[in-house]
Amino acid sequence: MSVIADALVTVPTTVIKGQIFEIRTLVRHDMESGFRHTEQGVRVPRRIIREFSCMYNDLEVFRATLYPGTSANPMFVFYCRAEKSGDLVFRWVGDNDYQTIYRKPILVT
Amino acid sequence: MRALALGLIASVLYLGVLNLGAQTDSRKSSYFNMSRENQRMQDDLSLNPASFWIIEGQGLWQNGGLSGSRTCSDCHGDVAKSMHGVAATFPKHRGGSLRTLQGQINHCRVSYQGLQAFDYESKPLLALLSLVASQSRGMPINVSDDAQVSSHIERGKRLYNTRIGQLNLSCAQCHDDRAGQRLGGVLIPQGHPTGYPIYRIEWQTIGSLQRRLRNCMAGVRAERHAFGSEALNDLETYLMHRANGMLLESPGVRP
Repeated sequence: MSVIADALVTVPTTVIKGQIFEIRTLVRHDMESGFRHTEQGVRVPRRIIREFSCMYNDLEVFRATLYPGTSANPMFVFYCRAEKSGDLVFRWVGDNDYQTIYRKPILVT
Repeated sequence: MRALALGLIASVLYLGVLNLGAQTDSRKSSYFNMSRENQRMQDDLSLNPASFWIIEGQGLWQNGGLSGSRTCSDCHGDVAKSMHGVAATFPKHRGGSLRTLQGQINHCRVSYQGLQAFDYESKPLLALLSLVASQSRGMPINVSDDAQVSSHIERGKRLYNTRIGQLNLSCAQCHDDRAGQRLGGVLIPQGHPTGYPIYRIEWQTIGSLQRRLRNCMAGVRAERHAFGSEALNDLETYLMHRANGMLLESPGVRP
């Protein structure tokens, strides 16, 4: 599975300096809560994303901690002010060494 | 002034058409029972989690299967062109039997790609199903009722009206007679399969119409028909035909 299929990020490709723009992220993850049991009564181990962060030109602009109550395929929508052209780097980290990194260039005019 | 008058006439005409539509067709997709947030999640593919299955489906379309075997795109080319409107016409009668869209995908797998059929509700089958169904988004459902299909529609209709399970309920008792009322806290929809495959938030994943039908069967404590069984295929055909003319929303989102 490629990285692109694991995360969907929607950001305008160009923004005017000073403009506030919307960032939408959706990541594919089962978010197994650790509270469920199989039909045989065996507990399904927890396997969730623990942290999500977004860096804008090496500055952290968003961070969230996730818990077992979070739904599968968690979605975050947040806002950011355009300062300089560069990269937005999204990172999801979780149980069992799970990690997805998604990089999206942004052009500030 | 003239433009304004024309605009008024146009809007009166438009309202007239809408009224006419409301009078002749009382069918309603359960999309309109959802919260605005869920509706937006369905409409906007950048928010719709089913997009992951569509993306995976695109990968399978281009290079699915084993090396050396033909891919979907080898025969069908660009999915956006060749599959445009296709999902709106399924199930249909082909090669001597009734085929649902899943059945058709598996038929291609076995007959033309020389591969093993996918399991029902397996991830790759749902991925290809989502990809193909999404090419008919916004198009009216148009299931044929020619002689060969009509017997399946009839049988599906009979199943729909037959009481089953310990609760001794038929589909029709809820979805025809009591649509719009509540079961527990939940609004009973009319049961039009306009959005399948759907991303169901309760499931936390995507699923086919037959999964949903099996859900209802478990709900009335009946024995569930197997995926791809004649009974479920007939029921699917009846429900799709019953929704003819309604717009396909695939991939839908439901709570």
